[in-house]
Amino acid sequence: MPEPVQYRGMTLLVPDNDSEWKEYFAEARRHRLVMRRCTGCGLMRYPPTHACPWCMALGWAWQEVSGRGTIHSYEIVTQAIQPGFKDWTPYPVVLVELDEQRGAPTPDEGLRLVANLVTPDLRPEAEANVAIGTRVRVVFQDLAEHLALPQFMLADEPAPGRVWRLGP
Amino acid sequence: MLVQARGSRDRYCIAGVGETEYSRDSGRTTRAMAVEAVRNAMVDAGLGAADVDGMLSYQNNDSTFAPFVASDLGIRLDFYMDVVGGGSSTEALIGLAMGAIEVGMCRTVAIFRSMNGYTEVRIGGTGARAAAPVRGPDLAQRPFGMTSAGQNFAMTFMRHMHDYGTTSEQVAHVKVAHSKHASQNPKALLTERVTVEDVLGSRWIVKPLHLLDCCVETDNATCVIVTSAERAGDLRSRPVHVMGVAGRVSKPRVDFHWAHGPVSRVAGYYAKDLVFPMAGIGPEDVDVTGSYDAFTFTTMLQLEEYGFCKKGEGGAYVSSGVIELGGARPNNTSGGHLCEGYTHGMSMVIENVRQLRGTTDDYCPRAAEGVHTYDYAPGRCRQVKDAEITMNLGWAMPATGSALILRR
Repeated sequence: MPEPVQYRGMTLLVPDNDSEWKEYFAEARRHRLVMRRCTGCGLMRYPPTHACPWCMALGWAWQEVSGRGTIHSYEIVTQAIQPGFKDWTPYPVVLVELDEQRGAPTPDEGLRLVANLVTPDLRPEAEANVAIGTRVRVVFQDLAEHLALPQFMLADEPAPGRVWRLGP
Repeated sequence: MLVQARGSRDRYCIAGVGETEYSRDSGRTTRAMAVEAVRNAMVDAGLGAADVDGMLSYQNNDSTFAPFVASDLGIRLDFYMDVVGGGSSTEALIGLAMGAIEVGMCRTVAIFRSMNGYTEVRIGGTGARAAAPVRGPDLAQRPFGMTSAGQNFAMTFMRHMHDYGTTSEQVAHVKVAHSKHASQNPKALLTERVTVEDVLGSRWIVKPLHLLDCCVETDNATCVIVTSAERAGDLRSRPVHVMGVAGRVSKPRVDFHWAHGPVSRVAGYYAKDLVFPMAGIGPEDVDVTGSYDAFTFTTMLQLEEYGFCKKGEGGAYVSSGVIELGGARPNNTSGGHLCEGYTHGMSMVIENVRQLRGTTDDYCPRAAEGVHTYDYAPGRCRQVKDAEITMNLGWAMPATGSALILRR
């Protein structure tokens, strides 16, 4: 049983029998962002669940993805609910849509993850730089021997389309 | 709207409603409050302990259970169930009560929710909930500081602003309308009318939500009683008929609401196609709406998704005056969760029942007899004249919702 991980006043528990998350976070610690890919229909999914939501097959294998994507939505937390986040406010939480499998198998689908938008030194990115449509790439925040959080930082690439952020 | 009504329409009624005081200092247990609310609803219906044989409740490991409440009141149960859930449960359990009665499991069901939502388990997620260990599905959000309902839903709200140009100023009108209504409600926690500028000037909580875009954590218990139309006809209060109900209708891949797009779409997109055909009416036939206003945005999103305006035009709709008392289709005439108090949805059903009876408990001296002035100045009347049909839009989260259409 791995030791619980303390992070920002929270206890993160990923026990040996966590058949959804244990390997996901262990791969993140190896700085690999992985999705489950169905061995039946070949489609990837997130979160890492036990059956394919597209074909119901049980078989899957980990598939590394590029970690590149676009901010699909975001929020700026100005009043922390968790005490350990108070010194991080205002901090951005982003919904990132990965480049892989966008709009498949239906136009409404995509591989989307929740993370913080952080600077290269893992501080919250400035609000003025957070916008829907902005390009981002994964960066790993190591927390323990067996666990890292996949976070995202701004990618040095032009936005492919419209960029939008909440006005002042 | 030409549709075929299904079999359950008008065959079940809400026969009684009741609640406790809305406060931020109940000083008592959820059991004590639930007993008072259920008893108030029984008295409202003219039912004794021997007349209630079913009980349902919903909670999130923060409340008492049906067997305690029934025992306190001397009720022997033929059916009970305490389910996990918050918003969207009221309407869903009304539907389940109808089903239990339909198959003969029981005859009359009291449905309650009791919560010390301010003094014990804070609904906003602060206190003990913020300190709980993070495991399982929570690992997808909480390590990133995404915990509370506001933090959880803000992705949907922000994406709606991006997709449709919805503005903070537009949705602030929801709070303005509900505060206007609460100023006519002696029970409301927040009775002061506010302006759009007040909302926009209040501090940010999680952008795009200001403090006044958020509902008010409250201690309270609430209850509605469901029975057949035949039995309801013999009871003390004017029965209100269930025309249609939809319970916890969900978007695909509902475990995380942001998993399936469009992210700015909410569950009403699916629920409307169940509830309106069941009731045999369309949105244009509804006189009063009660929407789950955990946030200003949730009311806007639901009114739009159920077709009270076109998709994407919710911002313009809620800022047009139509949802205010005196407007064409008032919403949350009690002040709702934003102003009256936060009840996980039950209070908006209670309010609509009273609207349909014509006995809304406003400041009119003879309100209980159904005599109203229809003067919507502060501290006066909040009864909608000749309300025939109401609709409740229940919300658990962007991906799950319930709906209930009632008529007098």
